[in-house]
Amino acid sequence: MTPSPDKGTRDAPVPSARTLRTELEKGLRAHRSGARPASVMEMSDSDGDGRLVMNFGPQHPATHGTLRSIFTLEGETIVEADVEIGFLHTGFEKLGENMTYQQWVTVSDRMNYLSALNNNVGYSVAVEDLLGIEVPPRCKSLRVIMCELSRIADHILCVGLQGMDLGAFSIMLWAFEKRELIYDIIEAVCGARLTTSWTRVGGIMRDVPEFFPDLVYSFLDEFPPLLTEIHTMLLNNRIFVDRVKDIGIVSEDQARSWGISGPIARASGLDVDVRRDHPYLGYENYDFKVPVQTEGDSFARYMQRMEEIEQSLEIIRQAMATLPSGPVVHDDFKTSLPTKDAVHNDMESLIHHFKLVMLGHGIKPEPGACIYSATEAPCGELGFFIASDGSDTAYRLRVRPPSLYNYAIYPRLVEGGMLSDAVAVLSSFHVIAGELDR
Amino acid sequence: MESTVVDMAANDAAYDALAPDLQSLVIDQTEHQGQVALTCKAEHQRQLLEHFRNEQGYDYLVDVTAMDHLGMDRPERFEVVYVLRRIGASGHQFRLHVWLSEDQAELPSVFDLWDSARWGERETHDMFGIVFQGNPDLRRLLMPEDYPAFPLLKDYPLKGAGERRQFTRVVPRGDQMVEEEPEDYPTSIGRGMHTPEYEEEVRRDSKPR
Repeated sequence: MTPSPDKGTRDAPVPSARTLRTELEKGLRAHRSGARPASVMEMSDSDGDGRLVMNFGPQHPATHGTLRSIFTLEGETIVEADVEIGFLHTGFEKLGENMTYQQWVTVSDRMNYLSALNNNVGYSVAVEDLLGIEVPPRCKSLRVIMCELSRIADHILCVGLQGMDLGAFSIMLWAFEKRELIYDIIEAVCGARLTTSWTRVGGIMRDVPEFFPDLVYSFLDEFPPLLTEIHTMLLNNRIFVDRVKDIGIVSEDQARSWGISGPIARASGLDVDVRRDHPYLGYENYDFKVPVQTEGDSFARYMQRMEEIEQSLEIIRQAMATLPSGPVVHDDFKTSLPTKDAVHNDMESLIHHFKLVMLGHGIKPEPGACIYSATEAPCGELGFFIASDGSDTAYRLRVRPPSLYNYAIYPRLVEGGMLSDAVAVLSSFHVIAGELDR
Repeated sequence: MESTVVDMAANDAAYDALAPDLQSLVIDQTEHQGQVALTCKAEHQRQLLEHFRNEQGYDYLVDVTAMDHLGMDRPERFEVVYVLRRIGASGHQFRLHVWLSEDQAELPSVFDLWDSARWGERETHDMFGIVFQGNPDLRRLLMPEDYPAFPLLKDYPLKGAGERRQFTRVVPRGDQMVEEEPEDYPTSIGRGMHTPEYEEEVRRDSKPR
């Protein structure tokens, strides 16, 4: 790794490659002279105090996203940690001030691409709260079922990646295989796998297909054995257990003070769950427990996610058993898009559709109305603060991403620990960069 | 939003629990869909938040954010929003809105009351330029550290401040780091942003109202 500007330069290389190479050489020269820390993963001990400054990410595979950590190491111990975020900042909140309420649904699923449905639902619930409309019972139940499926997909992926980061690669493959069952259901319901855009303000895109119950019931049969398998594999894996126990401990007070929510908060003993505390979509009608751990370490977060999956399965069973029939879109078409089927076959629905999607018409909440509406996404509390000025776009659309507040404490957790523990803590945090940076 | 303090006083637990002298600091109280927002002036923000945290037990600061009311008929340009919640059986939640003038866009930090304010305030600073005095870490959170503008202000154009290749870059030359002007594009961030041509372009691209 000692490239020299005089050697190895080809005569007629591809221009872009030459540019790249020149850049690299420039950077390396500057790095050797200590002019600045290079932005790629590198180590430096410029002041000679025996401490190394190491850049971990933003392109490191173990970050599972574009997260950059700057660790100051003494040997293998992290003495100082700092994080830098914003690599995926896309201005979603600014977009929200310039897109209509219905249009922004498509943006919401780009935030947390692993549980896009929860983002869709969270945003739609927020706008419905702002407008004061209530969706039909069938829509509520379907949203709950799809949210819980999406939560399972998100949790099982997190568990799989947690295993993979610590050497248990099979867990990840098994998790991915069974996760496909969920993605098949999502694909059958809305046509897309990741960027679902399934909800509309006041309802959902369309009713589920006829074979939807078959898909869900076969998933409910096939999935639970996987949980036993994963538990058996990981809890008997001494390397995994030894490496995740007693690291990255978040105390209950810390979780409360740092605004941590979701499985990370509950793994620390902070008993919060928006589904139970501030019910939406009729969650109060389902009989489910909110599991809580006390240890607050990475192992507790693993156990927490596994127990939450069981509760989600339970909610899906209950919701499927009581799935009502009826319309899936709120019947006031001044605020809710009619289904495509109605638009194509019914003059009045076509007119409503046209009026709703035209810029400057659309949904117009009352001027000056503000709302903070929260839902429980897989990572934690996903909140939307929406302020209206009476036009068809939000005056201010603030997303309260769970990952942002969860991640803020991360540097403190890894300080004083080993470098390899930083990876094990990060994978148990399940930070989604798209949601973190928005 | 038309409701007055007198109308709403009976409805909100957080307001009711305030001592009379603190109640006088709340200049407005509004309710929408069952959610209550109290409003106060910037100089009383710290006093009220301390009271809610220490006396009333609102131990969970859900979110800190702000709104920019540029050109709107409002008392001040900025409105900083705190969402407070009490964890536990009651789970009561409300918002505190703080009016903040454009000339003195500074508020005392509350990171010592809730640690979640550290990054909440940092992001608000990053997006609106509001300074939270006392916050130990107000570096840019999402935008680059040398970014000259605050993107969620209403006078910041939706299309941004240009493409990346238009920006002045800092590149190594020999052993020195030097600033390199963009070659192809005369517009660079900060200077070219408010030329009449650019303003016209932004106007043309923005949505119809």
